Amino acid sequence: MSRFRLPREVLTRTFEQFRKCGCGRRECQALWIGPWSDALAITEVIHPKHSGHMGGFTLDEGWLHQFWLELGRKDCGIRFQVHTHPEEAFHSAIDDAYPIIHKPGFLSLVIPDFALGPIGFEKAYLTEIQPDGRWKQVAIGERINIT
Amino acid sequence: MTIENDCDDGSLKAAEEHLKKAEGELERAEHDVEKAIEEIREAHHHHPEFEVTVLYDGVKKKFEVKPEELVKKLLEKAIQAFGPIPNPHTLALYPETGGEELKDDETLKQAGVKPHDLLLLRPSKVKGGDR
Repeated sequence: MSRFRLPREVLTRTFEQFRKCGCGRRECQALWIGPWSDALAITEVIHPKHSGHMGGFTLDEGWLHQFWLELGRKDCGIRFQVHTHPEEAFHSAIDDAYPIIHKPGFLSLVIPDFALGPIGFEKAYLTEIQPDGRWKQVAIGERINIT
Repeated sequence: MTIENDCDDGSLKAAEEHLKKAEGELERAEHDVEKAIEEIREAHHHHPEFEVTVLYDGVKKKFEVKPEELVKKLLEKAIQAFGPIPNPHTLALYPETGGEELKDDETLKQAGVKPHDLLLLRPSKVKGGDR
């Protein structure tokens, strides 16, 4: 199976952002994007404007609109949505219902403990949209190759 | 030297009749064609097709639409074109300039969509949480 290439620097910056924004008290989201010319490449981490609290987050709709336009200008697509949970990593009913991308194959990664643990995927949870629209957990190593 | 003329008066007259009939049919056919062209022109005048671009996840696709077409129809076409998208209930079309989503039950004309507009196909809400 083809795996997305995730630069270690992007992973590190994602954790740094989660810790800085969430402060161990609020959930936070990141988006990993890459160019359509290289569909398995992740080149950038995006920190969406959002409101966050202990049990969730909501993206700012105005920001989302401008980001959508920016993706078109840059010819880039969203490869993963990544967000933190206060404790255990899993996909909640809200996570299932309101992703940023709805296409089969889209991936959502949840990082436990507000990303205060070691940088990496220990106890993280990865899930993927199936052709019938349901989410199904997948092994992180089958989808991500840290470069 | 003599030239034999095989045509008698009767066959010449019949040929002339035949020609006249054919000319009449040609005239009617030309009239029908002109009428059809005019009807097409009229249809285009009242329902001119135009092109819009829809953007989803950084990818742009072009669609031929009519002003009288419902937003819902274009939304369905876009979801099909970018799909399959199995749970598209939170997706809507938005004007490039931002603001409210285009209403499903309005026509493109009522929604203010013009030729060469860029429309965004995106979720209305993105959120997450552990409870």
